[in-house]
Amino acid sequence: MTVQAASILDADAIGRISDRFDEPDWLRALRAAWWKRADSTPPPTGQEEEWRRTSLADLPRGAVLLMDVPELETHLPSGAAEDGVILTDLRTAVRDHPELVERYLGQVDGPASHAHFWALAQAAWTGGLFCYVPRGVSVDGTLVARQLLPRADVAFHPVSLVVAEEDSSVTLLTEVVSPDGATGWYGGMADVRAGPSARVRYADLQQLGDGAWRIGAERVVVGQDAVVTTLNAEVGSRITKLGLDVLMTGKGGTSKVLGILAAGDDQKIDINTVQDLAADHTTSDLLYLSALYDRAHASFYGITNVRHGTKQTSSYQECRNLLLSPQAGAEPIPVLEIAANDILRCGHGATAGAIDPTTLFYAQTRGLDADAAERMIVRGFFEQVVSQIVDETIRQRVLAALARRIGADSSDEVAA
Amino acid sequence: MALPNPALSQIPDSYKFGWHDAEQPRTTFEKGISSEVVAEISRIKDEPKWMTDLRLKAYRHFEARPMPKWGADLTGIDFQDIYYYVTGNSNGAAQSWDDVPDYIRRTYDKLGIPEAEKKYLAGVGGQYDSEVIYHNIREDLEKQGVIFMGTDQALKEHPDLFREYFGTVIPANDNKLAALNTAVWSGGSFIYVPKDVHVELPLQAYFRINTENMGQFERTLIIADEGSSVHYVEGCTAPTYSTASLHSAVVEIIVKKGARVRYTTIQNWSSNVYNLVTKRAVAHEDAVMEWVDGNLGSKVTMKYPSIYLLGERAHGEVLSIAFAGDGQHQDAGGKIIHAAPNTTSLITSKSISKGTGRTSYRGLIKVYPGCERSKSTVRCDALILDDDARSDTYPYMEIDEENVTIGHEATVSKVGSEQLFYLMSRGLSEAEASAMIVNGFIEPIVKELPMEYAVEMNRLIQLQMEGAVG
Repeated sequence: MTVQAASILDADAIGRISDRFDEPDWLRALRAAWWKRADSTPPPTGQEEEWRRTSLADLPRGAVLLMDVPELETHLPSGAAEDGVILTDLRTAVRDHPELVERYLGQVDGPASHAHFWALAQAAWTGGLFCYVPRGVSVDGTLVARQLLPRADVAFHPVSLVVAEEDSSVTLLTEVVSPDGATGWYGGMADVRAGPSARVRYADLQQLGDGAWRIGAERVVVGQDAVVTTLNAEVGSRITKLGLDVLMTGKGGTSKVLGILAAGDDQKIDINTVQDLAADHTTSDLLYLSALYDRAHASFYGITNVRHGTKQTSSYQECRNLLLSPQAGAEPIPVLEIAANDILRCGHGATAGAIDPTTLFYAQTRGLDADAAERMIVRGFFEQVVSQIVDETIRQRVLAALARRIGADSSDEVAA
Repeated sequence: MALPNPALSQIPDSYKFGWHDAEQPRTTFEKGISSEVVAEISRIKDEPKWMTDLRLKAYRHFEARPMPKWGADLTGIDFQDIYYYVTGNSNGAAQSWDDVPDYIRRTYDKLGIPEAEKKYLAGVGGQYDSEVIYHNIREDLEKQGVIFMGTDQALKEHPDLFREYFGTVIPANDNKLAALNTAVWSGGSFIYVPKDVHVELPLQAYFRINTENMGQFERTLIIADEGSSVHYVEGCTAPTYSTASLHSAVVEIIVKKGARVRYTTIQNWSSNVYNLVTKRAVAHEDAVMEWVDGNLGSKVTMKYPSIYLLGERAHGEVLSIAFAGDGQHQDAGGKIIHAAPNTTSLITSKSISKGTGRTSYRGLIKVYPGCERSKSTVRCDALILDDDARSDTYPYMEIDEENVTIGHEATVSKVGSEQLFYLMSRGLSEAEASAMIVNGFIEPIVKELPMEYAVEMNRLIQLQMEGAVG
């Protein structure tokens, strides 16, 4: 089935966004160019390998574009601003740091599977994030940017631009929260760049309302000798369809790609990832964990691509699914495409299954009721990722968000 | 070499004279396919109307369906540039020993294959006097009520049994290539094993010597009745020469309650062949189905033996080995569908790519809702021997039942320079050392083969490692 143009937008509407925000000519031209791309890049038909598991038939294409986006709430550790670190709403950045934003915004393609939606966001963003860490600057503490959406029944295509220059170091948490109830379209895109020897920890915590369609993509470039950890914690939404590309383009780069999914009711979460090992001595390890309640369904289609001619790359893909209800389902598909033979390590693993009844029984013999035992086991299951979240702020926020789905634990200091 | 040792010992001295050039009348169609060609094949075979109708229906499915766009590159296939029916000689076989390319002949020599068998493998032998070897086995089987004959013959001699099962596992509209096979099939084996009969010796297509058993569009149907067991071996480890560019077989297997079937294939078509095969088995209550599938030859192979576990406690296994040398793409794997509670399955895949070769493991584990306590393990290992070699893994899983244990694991590695150095320091050449490591890598599969196959497989791997094949 072919789907029609993906939104009610047109070239005029894109122009009116520029009018509304009184944007400079370069941005007006940039939006127009991306609109052309969006228009000429057909939306997925469902025949594509990455789109076979999520139908876009019910995507709320008619939802009105959210123009009055509340300012992003940001928290920048003290002293960082003096070092030249920028953490602000994208509209503000266009006004206050036009040269920097012009240099980086809308310069690259996103994940190929989401090309249409990436172009759409680059053309139609009405909010977003700009985070910039200058060369050699190490930020102590956690940068936090939270977007609260006032209503659910809208379309919103924010763009997050995160640039960590050479030798810099930064930890950033982005969050999005929207109300339950109405159906809406959240098409947030992230463009994350770690320059040579940069150290970046980037976590995205998604707590959209239960009617939201999250059609998002993330492109992460890891420069030479850079070390990047990304975390996607997907808790909310009705449908999530996320494309994540981790591009290991610089020699000696390292990435850790983490994901936590806690889904229930009729939630459908479909993630596709690409770990592109395009340079020598790169390392990329992915770990996605899903806990699935009720009628929730999680799909994972990830590709490890070891490029021809690369030497001594090292990579792993692991996707584990805990099925907590007879109606829950999972489709983990970790794909390897390896065109080089001088590899240090390459492998993948995938599992799906219920809690082992003997484990549950054991926990109950220690005095826990069935629910508490299940909660404890789910927490233990997530520990494989949670223990890798070094940043205290991020860990606490993620655990608190998860508690809403898996239930709070009395011994849990984050529940408060 | 593909004969079991006891049989070898029975070969009389006159064996090499056992050949006779079967001068049979040849019926050759023009190249290309149409509903007329399909109807004519059926007419020449003097088939019942239902088969003619089924062939024509399948042809319409073949025409209507697009070529698969996933997997290997199939753009080199031109369906109108293929002969769909040749009699009087093995389909796609060389016309005379002189037509067989030198590299194939050299490989036969290196494998030490007897003269007669060489010609048979090359398809130029016609029929040879196999009575001595085959007669005793056939008598034994007949006493037990086992039916083992060519599929064409079975349609004539056991029409009811044939019709009851033919096309029930792989329907005519299953996929484009299976539809093509259903339209133009010729040759293949038909096996029926009665209740509680255990066939002790592996049945080999090789025994049932006739010109059609290495046909281009062979069709095999195996029915193992309740409580019975049989092991069927298809193909030979030695390279099989064919002038035809497309081979598209269909194999259907029905494993009834408590029965056990193992189907072993060693595919070693010459490197000009597209080998696109549909193999599927259904396993009923307490049944066991095992595919042992080795792919060494062909230009492109796309083959995913599958098992539908339809009855409680049914068990399915796929052991897959693929070796891709220069210019080859082995896109192989397996599918297991859990459609009943307490079913278990295991897929083990070992693939090796060398030169510019590419191996792809492509597999599916599906668990339907309600199939409680199903268990499945998939284990894939790949060895990449050269800079330009490539290896892919596409492990699909669709799990719609909570109470299951499903796991997949894969590793990819290269032959370690330290391992090589160690072996070479003990006096082995690099090729010998690599071959030894590769042999160790595929050992878990080779040990499942009948002994004579295992010996030949090891020798063949060594030849491939030395670049002496193809």
